[in-house]
Amino acid sequence: MTTTTVAARRAGWAFVAPALTLMVLILLLPIAGAALLSFTDYSLGGSAPAWVGLENYEKILTQSRYRAMLEATLTYVLTVTPLSIGLGLGAALLIHSLRWGGAFYKTVFFLPAMATLMAMSIVWSFALHPTLGVVNATLGSFCGTGWLHQWGWFDAACRNGFPLWLGDRSYAIWTVCFVGVWQGFGFNMVLYLAGLTSVPRELYNAAEMDGARTAWDRFRLVTWPMLGPTTVFVVTITLIRSFQVFDIVEGFYEQGAGPSRSAYVILFAMYEKGIRENLIGIGAAIAMIFLACVVITSLVQQRILEKKAHYA
Amino acid sequence: MIAHRFSVAETLKHAVLMVGALIVALPFYVMLSTSLKSPGEIERNEGGFFGAQAVMTDEYCVKRNEPERAAIEAARRAQPGLDETAVRTALLATVRENCATRPAIFNYVSAFSEAPLLLYLLNGIIVTASIFLLQVIVALPAAYALAKLKFWGRDLVFGLVLFCLLIPVHAIALPLYIALAKLGLTNSYAALVIPWTISVFGIFLMRQFFMTVPDDLIDAARMDGMGEFSIVWKVMLPTAIPALLAFAIFSVVSHWNDYFWPRVVVTGDRSLFTPPLGLHEFRGGGGDGSLYGPMMASATVIVAPLVVAFLLAQRRFIEGITLSGMK
Repeated sequence: MTTTTVAARRAGWAFVAPALTLMVLILLLPIAGAALLSFTDYSLGGSAPAWVGLENYEKILTQSRYRAMLEATLTYVLTVTPLSIGLGLGAALLIHSLRWGGAFYKTVFFLPAMATLMAMSIVWSFALHPTLGVVNATLGSFCGTGWLHQWGWFDAACRNGFPLWLGDRSYAIWTVCFVGVWQGFGFNMVLYLAGLTSVPRELYNAAEMDGARTAWDRFRLVTWPMLGPTTVFVVTITLIRSFQVFDIVEGFYEQGAGPSRSAYVILFAMYEKGIRENLIGIGAAIAMIFLACVVITSLVQQRILEKKAHYA
Repeated sequence: MIAHRFSVAETLKHAVLMVGALIVALPFYVMLSTSLKSPGEIERNEGGFFGAQAVMTDEYCVKRNEPERAAIEAARRAQPGLDETAVRTALLATVRENCATRPAIFNYVSAFSEAPLLLYLLNGIIVTASIFLLQVIVALPAAYALAKLKFWGRDLVFGLVLFCLLIPVHAIALPLYIALAKLGLTNSYAALVIPWTISVFGIFLMRQFFMTVPDDLIDAARMDGMGEFSIVWKVMLPTAIPALLAFAIFSVVSHWNDYFWPRVVVTGDRSLFTPPLGLHEFRGGGGDGSLYGPMMASATVIVAPLVVAFLLAQRRFIEGITLSGMK
């Protein structure tokens, strides 16, 4: 037809060409590269790499160091995901039902999502410091409060000292989880608040007419089902972000990943093996496992959303 | 208006939320408060929020200005009656006097003098700004083409964009690192910026936005004799400002705060450290109370810009950060 459409067609390719080139060079080829590397014993500046087949993956499944990695990662993901979603939803419901002051809490709870996580992890490690830290000092000041001593853990801590949150292997990963929840739940709260404002008022009236008397009934029959799509999304994004935990461990520990590798999370393992120790083959295998976790999470989300869309 | 009547439920909700807010705000309080206190107050865990702000001696300053040989000799000639030790002591006393300072000032001055914090901040600005600029230069034309131009293979390209949305950057860090190392680019601004120049998320986001722009606007521009290139930058860009602003916030916040990628590609050259890397290095000093004050001051300086910007423009920030929600 006219020259403009020809020009537009030519422009189309010209405009996507830079993006397409970068996409292939920076995203797609490296994926293929990582997959290939994971079957080799490649190291930077080393001798010619040899094909080792599944050896790297076998190591990950059998060696105790990687057992620690899987354990720490799963502990973190399975703790932080439900807690930060539960707290995010709880905070959103409370704030949404407030008559005044909701904006203040919303601001405060969202602050950690903005702040540099590396900086805040270092601050937390200072706040949790056994002698200088404000946390143990505050806990200690409650010693002698009678009813708290009913709590066995607290009673024992008052007599033997409060735990080394970062240095004790039975607490380390949980402390990392705590900071993860601290950082992440405000983000989920904001998403849930957006979901809550889109629930039509009339539904509550209708539910009440149908005999939903208590707040729990209203939540169970109206709010929760209406938040379904939000929840699917929140769960996915929280899972993916949890697999990516790295800064907290680096901020907490100078070297290594906590006492007896108790906070040896997957990205830290990948960084330690692939970059620091230049064992790129094994690092790449860890990266592929990480990638699989993230991609599977995303695909499951899409499947659920598609199914939902069918009867919605 | 009805006055807020007292209600048990309402009060209980506020109580629960207030406890939560206190815990969430705790590290910010600790960071700010520690950045104001003297080493002694930090070590003894006292002094409330501001500390006493009693005059203290800046030991770094004393060390830097220790009386030199020549100065001692000169002073001995001026006051022949004294021996060397006495002169030294007297001179040192003057230095100490000149190095007297308030804890808050000491912490913030040391934050900038004991580590090149200013340089780190500058690096952070250079890196985040270049990343955002390049992302826009690459993504905007592509988004426009995918939304408004009909050309063979468009659906395929868009499908590829959607596929790439699934890829987490951490998974490709090692191959990218090897490629950059082979090109001799590790420890350079290029290494910090290049991997982020392509934002498939940005392309996706801007494409969705451009879909809502009426075709008439573009046709009118073509009638006026505008080429496709000027349409992108003179017609589409201005209409996209709100979406672009949200994307800017998303991009700047994630790259200012990013620690993982700089850690991978900057392996020793301190002059390339971004703020989070610099802070991690600072932490390496370890231990005593004289270090925590300056360290918390650095942390405050690094965290403050985004937090202040967030407090000033909350709605925009929340919109921008939760953008990743659309992924």
